[in-house]
This record gives sequence, C-alpha cells and structure tokens, in this order.
Amino acid sequence: MASTLEIRDLHVSVEGKEILKGVTLTVKTGEIHSIMGPNGSGKSTLALALMGHPKYEVTKGEILFKGQNIVELEPNERARLGLFLAFQYPLEIQGVPLGRFLWAAKKALLGQSQDGQTDKKADAKALSQFRKELQEKMKLLKMDESFAQRYLNVGFSGGEKKRAEIVQMHILKPEIAILDETDSGLDIDSVKIVAEAVNQLRGPDFGALVITHYQRILNFLKPDYVHVMIDGRIVRSGDESLVHELEAKGYDWLINESKAEVS
Amino acid sequence: MTKKIEEVRHLGEKKRPIAEKERETYDRDYSRYAFSYPTDKYKYVLKPGLSREVIEEISAIKNEPKWMREFRLKAYEIFLKKPMPTWGGDLSHINFDTITYYATPTDKGARSWEDVPEEVKKTFDRLGIPEAERKFLAGVGAQYDSEVVYHSIREDLAKKGVIFLSMDEGLREYPDLVKEYFGTVIPPTDNKFAALNSAVWSGGSFIYVPKGVHVEIPLQAYFRINAPQMGQFERTLIIADEGARVHYIEGCLPGGEQVSVGDRWVNIESLKPGDYVIADNGEKARVRATMVRRYRGEMLTIKPISPYNAFRLTPEHPVLVVRRSRVLQRRKPRNGWLPEVDTEKLFTAQPEYVPAGELTVGDFLVFPKVQAHNYNPRYSPELLKLLGYYLAEGSAFIHKTLNVPVVSFSFGTHEKEVITEVCDLITKITGKDAYVTELKGRHAVNVTVYSQELFDVCTSSCGTGASSKRLSDELMALPPEQIEPLLTAYFVGDGNVCDKGNSVMYRAATASETLAQQIQELLARKGIYASIHVRPGGDDTINGRKIHRKDQYIIVYTADKRWSEIRQTDRYFLVPIKEIERAPYDGFVFNLDVEGPSSYLVRGFAVHNCTAPIYSKESLHAAVVELIAKRGAHLRYTTLQNWSNDVYNLVTKRAIAYEDATVEWVDANIGCLTADTKVFLNPRGAVNITEVKPNDWIYALDLNTMEIVKRPVKGIVCTGVKPVFKLITENYREIKATANHPFLALYRSEKHWHLVWKPLEQLQVGDLIAIIDELPPKEGKPAEFVRIKALEPLGEEAVYDIEVEGAHNFIANGLIVHNSRLTMKYPSVYMLGKGARADILSVAFAGKGQHQDTGGKAIHAAPYTTSTIVSKSVSKDGGRATYRGQLVVAKGAHHAKSNVRCDALILDEYSRSDTYPYIEIDEDQVTIGHEATVGKVGDDQIFYLMSRGLSESEALSMIVLGFMEPFTKTLPMEYAIEFNRLIQLEMEGSVG
Ligand SMILES: Nc1ncnc2c1ncn2[C@@H]1O[C@H](COP(=O)(O)OP(=O)(O)O)[C@@H](O)[C@H]1O
Ligand SMILES: [Mg+2]
Repeated sequence: MASTLEIRDLHVSVEGKEILKGVTLTVKTGEIHSIMGPNGSGKSTLALALMGHPKYEVTKGEILFKGQNIVELEPNERARLGLFLAFQYPLEIQGVPLGRFLWAAKKALLGQSQDGQTDKKADAKALSQFRKELQEKMKLLKMDESFAQRYLNVGFSGGEKKRAEIVQMHILKPEIAILDETDSGLDIDSVKIVAEAVNQLRGPDFGALVITHYQRILNFLKPDYVHVMIDGRIVRSGDESLVHELEAKGYDWLINESKAEVS
Repeated sequence: MTKKIEEVRHLGEKKRPIAEKERETYDRDYSRYAFSYPTDKYKYVLKPGLSREVIEEISAIKNEPKWMREFRLKAYEIFLKKPMPTWGGDLSHINFDTITYYATPTDKGARSWEDVPEEVKKTFDRLGIPEAERKFLAGVGAQYDSEVVYHSIREDLAKKGVIFLSMDEGLREYPDLVKEYFGTVIPPTDNKFAALNSAVWSGGSFIYVPKGVHVEIPLQAYFRINAPQMGQFERTLIIADEGARVHYIEGCLPGGEQVSVGDRWVNIESLKPGDYVIADNGEKARVRATMVRRYRGEMLTIKPISPYNAFRLTPEHPVLVVRRSRVLQRRKPRNGWLPEVDTEKLFTAQPEYVPAGELTVGDFLVFPKVQAHNYNPRYSPELLKLLGYYLAEGSAFIHKTLNVPVVSFSFGTHEKEVITEVCDLITKITGKDAYVTELKGRHAVNVTVYSQELFDVCTSSCGTGASSKRLSDELMALPPEQIEPLLTAYFVGDGNVCDKGNSVMYRAATASETLAQQIQELLARKGIYASIHVRPGGDDTINGRKIHRKDQYIIVYTADKRWSEIRQTDRYFLVPIKEIERAPYDGFVFNLDVEGPSSYLVRGFAVHNCTAPIYSKESLHAAVVELIAKRGAHLRYTTLQNWSNDVYNLVTKRAIAYEDATVEWVDANIGCLTADTKVFLNPRGAVNITEVKPNDWIYALDLNTMEIVKRPVKGIVCTGVKPVFKLITENYREIKATANHPFLALYRSEKHWHLVWKPLEQLQVGDLIAIIDELPPKEGKPAEFVRIKALEPLGEEAVYDIEVEGAHNFIANGLIVHNSRLTMKYPSVYMLGKGARADILSVAFAGKGQHQDTGGKAIHAAPYTTSTIVSKSVSKDGGRATYRGQLVVAKGAHHAKSNVRCDALILDEYSRSDTYPYIEIDEDQVTIGHEATVGKVGDDQIFYLMSRGLSESEALSMIVLGFMEPFTKTLPMEYAIEFNRLIQLEMEGSVG
C-alpha cells in the first residue's frame, strides 16, 4: 500500500511572519513531485516545516503522513516514520565522522538506542554490513571512501555536501524524501550522478518532493507532477510540460496571475 | 596504645628479599581486609605523626638503600623549614601530626605469626587466610593502602628493555637508575609538599624506556581495585631516553553487573556518584565514586541455587559469605556429598568478606533482605490484590475507537472464583461494574472496566505491557505485611500452584525481567527464597502460527518445605554456592565505592566495596609526578578522572623536555561542584559564593588584630560533592559547610582562652565561634563570638571555596570561615633543550552545580621551543569551566613559539566558561598566539541531526563528543569508548 504525505492548507510562520499561506499538496510513494518557484517564495520553508524545524511554526493546517497528523512530532519521530530532507544548506558538525554519524542515525531509525544492550555479535555483523553498504553508496555518488572518516560536511565543497546528503538518503531509505535544491551549485556531471541515484530508489515504495530552480535535474528525473510556488502558495500544478512552459515564460506570468487571483 | 606502636616499630629492621615464588602472593592486594578493623583499633598500627624515626622506619620497612633514606631525611628537614606554599589555599590547619604517613598495618615488620597484633590475627582468622599465607604475611608484610599493585608488563616490552614497575620495586631492582633521576625534576626544595612527598613517598610508577625504543601500547597503571585516590604520597618517575616514545595513562574512569538500588536492579555502569544502592545490611547507602579498570585475567562466575542470580567478579573481589568449613557438623561427610552443616553454627556464624577466588562450592552467600518500612495508606488490601492480578493477567490501554481508558484482565474459563473476586474488587475500588466477556473457542474470559482512576493506578504503579511491567518505588517500599495481598494475588493469577502432597510449589512466569527480580525481592522480604530460571525466547510455532516469544522469567518457590539448603535470619538468607566457573577475561570491570557499610548487592548478593574508606576525611594527597623526555623523545601522560578534585590536591606534576623532545600532558576532568553561601565583597556587597571572581575584594578577619580587613580573592574553586551540615548560631546566623570546613572557635583550656580553627565536625553545640555581628562588614570592626545553637546534617551538596590573598579566611553568611581548598598544581613542562615541544591538552566537562578549574603551564627556557596549550571545555546546566593557561618565555628562549587555544562549548545560557591566560615574556623574538572560541550549540545543528533520526539528547551528545574529538582520538580505543560513555551519561536528561 502506498504511503501518503498529505499537506492540507498549511500555514507556516517564521518569527511571527507568515511565509506559507495555505499549501495543499499530496505526495504518494511511487510519485515524484517537483516544486519550482522564485527565490524567497517559501520552498525551503515548506521543506523545513515538513521535517519539523522548531523555528517554523505551523499556525494552521495539517501535515498527514501515513494517516497521522505529524505536526506535533519531533523531527526524529518524523524521520522514523520515513520522512527525509536533503538540506539546501547541510550543516557542519565538527568531530563527528560521516560514517559514525550515519551508523548512529541508522540505529536510531531502527529503534536501537546508542548504547542499548544489544547482542554484540549481531551488532558487529550489522556494522560490517553497514560499512559495505556505505562504501557502495559512496561509490554510487562518486565520493571517495575517505569521506566516511571525515567530519560531517566540515570542509566539504558545496557539491560534496549535496552528494553526501544523497548518500545519507540512500542509507536511511526514507519512504518520502524532500530534496531542497540538491542540484543547486552542482556541475552538470554531478547533477546527473545525483539524479541517477534518486532514480535508483524510484519505485512503488519511494516518493520524492524535489525542490529546484532548474530544468536540468528534472530532465533526468522526469517528475510525475510539477508545482509552482509563489509567495507561500502553490499557484499552478501540472505535469512535466509545465517545466518547459516555465523555462520559456519565466515566473512572471504566474506571479501576475496569482496577484490577480488574490485581489 | 603507644606501647604497641613501639613494639611494632623495632620489628621492622631486617628484611629478607622476596623469593620469586612468593612474589606472586606479595603482589596481591590485601588492603580490602582493612574494612574489618574497628577504626580505633586500626589507628594503633597506623602510627600517625611525622618524625625522623617514622621516616627511618618507612625506609627500613622498604629495605631501601642508604641514599634513599638520606634523601628522605633531608627532604624532611626541608619540609620542616619550608613555609606553607602560597600557591594553594592556606594549609595551616593541616595537622601533620595526625596524618598517617605509611599505612601498612600488618606490615610493621612482624616476622612471625606471634608478632602479628591480635586484632589483625582475628581478622585473618575471620577471613580464613591460609596458614601458609599467614606465615608469609608475617614475614614480609602485606601491601596495604599506600602501595600500588602493578600488572606485569608485556614480554616484548621487557625484551626491549622497557622497565615498568611500581616505584618501590623500581628502587629495589634498579637503584642506580632511580638514583640518577629521582627528584631531579621536582626537588624536595620545590615546595613544602614536594618535600613532604620526598620524605614519605610510597607507591607510584617507575618507567624507563631505553634509547630509540617505541612503546606502542599505552602503559597503564591499574591502580588497585581499592581506592585509587589512596596513593597519598605516591611518586611517579618516567624517563624516555633519547628518541624513545611512550604514552602513560593514569586512568581511573568511573563505571557490568546488576546492582540493587532498592526498588530494582540496574547495570553497575549506569550508576553515578551520588546514586543510592542497597548495602549488605539491606539499607540504602550512597555511592561515593564509581570506577572501572581494565582487567585481564581470570573471571569467576559464582552460581548459587537460583541460576539466574549467578554473578561474575574478579578473584580478588571480596564477597560476603559464611564459609562452610566453619560451620560443619562433627560427623564425617558422606561420600560424594558436601559436608553437612551444623545449623546452629550456621546461624550464629558471623558472615565475613572473602575474596571470590578463595570461595568453594558449598560456601553460603549472603542474600540480604532489602528493608522496607514505608507503610502507605493509599494502598488498601483490595487495591493491592487487584494490582497483583493486574501484574499477572492485566492490561491497561486506551480504547482506540471509544478513546477511553480501559483496564482488562483475562482468565481461563475455569478460574471462576478469581473472576468473581476480580469483579468484586473492581466494583469496590472504582464503584463501577466490570464487564465479563467470554471469548468463545479460546476458553478465556475477559474482565474489563472503563475507569480512568484504575487505569492511572495500574499504569503508574505497575507499568504496562507484558515485558515492561514493574512495581513502582512506592510499592517496593511497602512493608512486607502490606504488600502481601499483591503477592498472593499475583501467584494465584499468573502462577500455577502445584500441590505435590507434602509441599506446594508456586510458579509464575513473566516476560518482564525487572518484575521477576522484584517478586524475588518481595518474597525474600517475607522469608522465601525464590529462584529464577530464564526460558529463552525465540521463534516458535503455535497452532500452525509462527510467533516470536520473548524471554520468560520463571519464579519458583516451594512454600512449606522451602529450600532445604537455604537458611535465613531476619535480615538475610544464606544461599549455598552450587558451582564456580572460571574463565579468562579481558575487558573492563566495574566497581563502586559505597559509603557507610562499604558494600553493595550484585544480583541480590552482598559483595564488598572497592574501598576501605579509612582516609576519606582530612587526608592529604601530595603526589609527585616527574617526567623526563631526553633528546628527541616523545612522552605523553594522560590523566582521566571524574571525581572530586580532592584527588588532585597538591599534586606536583612537572616535565622536562630536552632538545627536540616532545612532552604531552593530556588531562580530562569530568564531574566536580556548588553553594548558595553569601560572601561580602567590596564594593559589590553580598553575593553568592559562586559569583566571586579573582581580584574581587572580600572581607576577611585579620587574626592579629581580630579586626575586619579587605583582601583580594585569588581564586574560587570547587572542592567536591560532599556531605554538608548546617550550623546555626544563637543569633540565628546559618551556614552550610562540609564536615571538615574550619571555623574560628574560641576555647578555654584551664586558665587560657585559645583561638583555634576547628573543623565543623569537631564543633559542638555551645561552642563559641567567631562572627561578624554587623552586616555588611566594615573594615576595622572587631569580630565577636557567639555560641552554636544547632548543627544539623543536610545531605550531599557540591561545595565551593575561596582562596584569599594574605588571609586564610573569609566572611561567609556573617561567620568567619577558613578557606579549605588546596589548589592543585597544574601540569607543567619545562622546555630546556633547543627545539623541545610541549603540548598540553586539557578537557573539562562542567555539568550542573559543577565548577571545573583546570590549567597548564609551559616554560620556554631554550631557543626554538614550541608549545601549544589547548583547553576544551563543555559546560551545561549552569556549570562553569575555568582554565588557567600559563606561559613563560625566559630570556634567551628566542624564536619560541606558543599557541594557547581555549575552546569552550556552552550548551545553555546559564552556563559559562572563563579562561585566564597568564603570560610572562622576557624575550623579544617570540611568536605567541592566543585564541579563544566560545561555541554555542545551534538549533540548526540539532535539527539537522534529529532529522536523521537521533533524539534531541543523542544529537546533543553527538555534538559534544565531536567537540571533544581532538582529545578522544589521543586515547586508546577502550578509553575513548569509556570516555564517550561517560559524556553520554552526563548528557542524559540534559534535555527537556
Ligand atoms: N529562519 C528564517 N528567519 C527569518 N526569515 C526566514 C527564515 N527562513 C525563511 N525566511 C524567510 O521566508 C521567506 C521564504 O524563504 P525560503 O523558504 O528560504 O524560500 P525559498 O527556499 O523558496 O527560496 C523569505 O522571505 C525568507 O527571508
Ligand atoms: Mg530555499
């Protein structure tokens, strides 16, 4: 059965200022949705609010995931339900090697605490499996193995950070992933690598909400649905052809249109 | 008493060398036996006070070369002449005549068993130490508190010529080498306490690494299991010869077995100082310190009748037992049977602590009955009965569709009486009727009630879910008579009661381990020793369906017959050992230092503490650590500690780095201190003691004029979490202070009045102590005296102290108090050769109510020398970390380079971190860098980690551990893991 992320009339404020003004959107596993929109229209806000950033306050509306309203859930609880966010600006954490971090995250997702009393043998086996998997995934994203030992995002280039996000996604295997401008700042080869990695997960048990400015990545991803966000609202939804229309006309026609709608 | 001391003293003259065969025994640790001395008896062997004779005697007992004796005596002369150091708090209240300088009570040269004092003999008798060993003890002397037992160094190291011995052994076996270096880094003239240490030192490590030899594994002194802080006057000397490399770890990390904390058992490693455990008398006792050490050797598994209660420990760990050999019948044993026991004798036998390694099958372990006496009227017999049924067969949940709380019980159709009883109980308790539904085909009946009240009681006092049911603290504290209905109902509900004619066997099975332990415990209190068996879970097929079964804990006892082999008194059971298993072990072992009864319960059985807390009060720790890194050598010294700073007091640690040599000091401090005491500052007025900063002016009393003066504060320090007392004067001034905190008291002896600094514990109601009547204090006003109205113990609190320049007291809450803290001396490195390097890394973690005061010192005394001083501190929950980095560049040390870096991570707005760089530079061509970063953990970082599935506290500890990583990665793996675990322990509960 498909899992569904259903956003209903979502209003989100940051520091008292309303950024999202009623977003309604449904993403199911098996589907790829894309959100496009001008800078500052609220795309990242949507992504962060979906993941549960404490600064982004849901003032109205619901986020239903697998039938449960997750608005009150902590980010880690959302992650455990199968939600994932590839950050537009991944954070740097000193002293925490990427590999160690991912292992802890993986165990947390499986419901094992950090130092819980687990079967040592089973643990060691799981760890060696994990190592192998991590190596594979890094290869898939064309990252050097040594990144596993490097501190999380510290000293990574922009592109390396983004690819590391996708490695994380592959390891943590979410049901619905939100990719926030993962393609920004990537050269064309990297875009292709990332897109292929996303496509590899594609299937009935995986859905994604891909936030982007550019057609490039969408050419590889072939989204099922395309939405345009302007000023905190989704003003237009369509299929892939909408991408080409935007490419040709820019956002202005939609901005004008949406203003007309509001007034 | 005096007579005995003398008697013992002249016996110490001649010593025979220790034969190889005996060495093994010699190295064993007998200090644990010290617990059985009544304190006053113990003292007569301790022989307090310091004199030439005492020093000569120490030297004689140790059979030292003449030069060492002379060194000690000369140091003693220096000690007498040296003034009290100014770098510490005032030390004038230390009475050197009351300190015991060498504590090896049985060892004062008694050469035949007859010479051993009666008291000691009794102890040995009680301990059942074999005759051969007694002889040996009499001949050579047991190692008591002052010496350190060392593990053997690995053979390959020995082959390379590396020497790693206790300082005493080092002196015996390599006198020339020791003579060449001993006291060259820190001569007796350095300070009064270095002189004292030089005069009376005992224990410590001696390491020599020959030219060019690299020691790859870190050398670790496993301090004896008892009292790592007891190396009162230990002496460590490490020499890395040219081009050598060595890493030494002075490690005492706190810490698995399951230990009883009263209402349940917990893993020993999850305990922290300040927690309470159950001691051998069945009462609660506070954990003073927890420790862990690396152990490589034999591990014993002691298996009593109940296999579940088997526990593991190291052979030297004392276990409370009654030895079978002591309580035998006269009758000869029947073939193949254990010798039979005389019950009379067994009951009157006093249990004794015996090292686990000496136990034999058939000895009786002591299973204390945890004392519970908190009658609670909230629990009626009816309610307890119902809770018993709930534990056995009940479940509590919120009905999904109706959204109402439900408590439900399921029984077999045939259990008619029980069903009726449960219905009645429900009605009585909730006033509601229960619904009885029969589940057709499954021969089961459900009794259900919708009641918020009952739901709350059941879940809060018994938990929910088959594998997580447990009794609340409150229930476990009920006296045995009150809890009885619960137990009865539990066995009726869950168990099968099996009538075997002459005896009735009770059985109950539960998936909750905690519940099984608790039921065993409750049965024990009413005099029944039940055994627990574990039926491992696994995948199974029932009626064609695949199911996963959890582990089942089966509690079994026989009511009237009882275990024929188990005897009981009103406070404990005696449970015979069925089997002892021995297996090699390599890993960490844990131990607790428990106050009062000095013992704790492992899987229900009493074992002894690690420590014989003999010197815990007022003891003087004056250790000396000397490091010498010769040309091109690399020497690293790591200290890990996580208890109060007492251990550190007056330790002088210094290194010399010659040409191109590198010395690294790595220091980690976790855990330490607090107070709400008000002190008077000028001009700030009354402030909390924690608010005092160095260079504030504080009011103090000039003891010559007895008038109030203003004095600058040198520092404020934490001194540990300690028992605190409240002192109330007749004019209702109050102050909280530790037992040893000195107050200025006025005493009359015969005709004269004396002013004396008296520790609080020696004060009595009615004594006169100095106060300042008028607050705030004014300069020039005289002190007054007032009588003590009351002294009350208050429990444990973290305490602070202030160092005052030029006066050794200050005015706190209007009373005149002495400052008691003795400042540690920070590790220092003297770079004496061109190109030498010093790296000092200090890591501190200051949690709630703690103040970590750490520091390091680098002295550049040669050109082209380099030093880095790095401090990393984490503070949270109002904790405070202070770092003092001192840098000296002497004239001529041109092209010296130094970098002082202080990184602080502050986890909340209440915590703080301060660094005090002290820099003295007498040379122009130098490069000095000073950097300080203060980091706050950002919401975004936490959110990022949480979005991957980590909980908030996991995310926080991950960030903290990452911050500590530069330190952690210098540690060997097992220490790093242990360190991380400690930090995680500190971080727990820091969120929300
Ligand atoms: N943490 C924040 N604090 C203040 N304003 C914010 C914050 N995050 C987003 N905003 C504001 O919300 C609006 C939408 O931003 P964002 O969601 O990042 O847009 P997009 O991702 O579409 O470029 C912008 O005006 C931005 O300044
Ligand atoms: Mg954005």
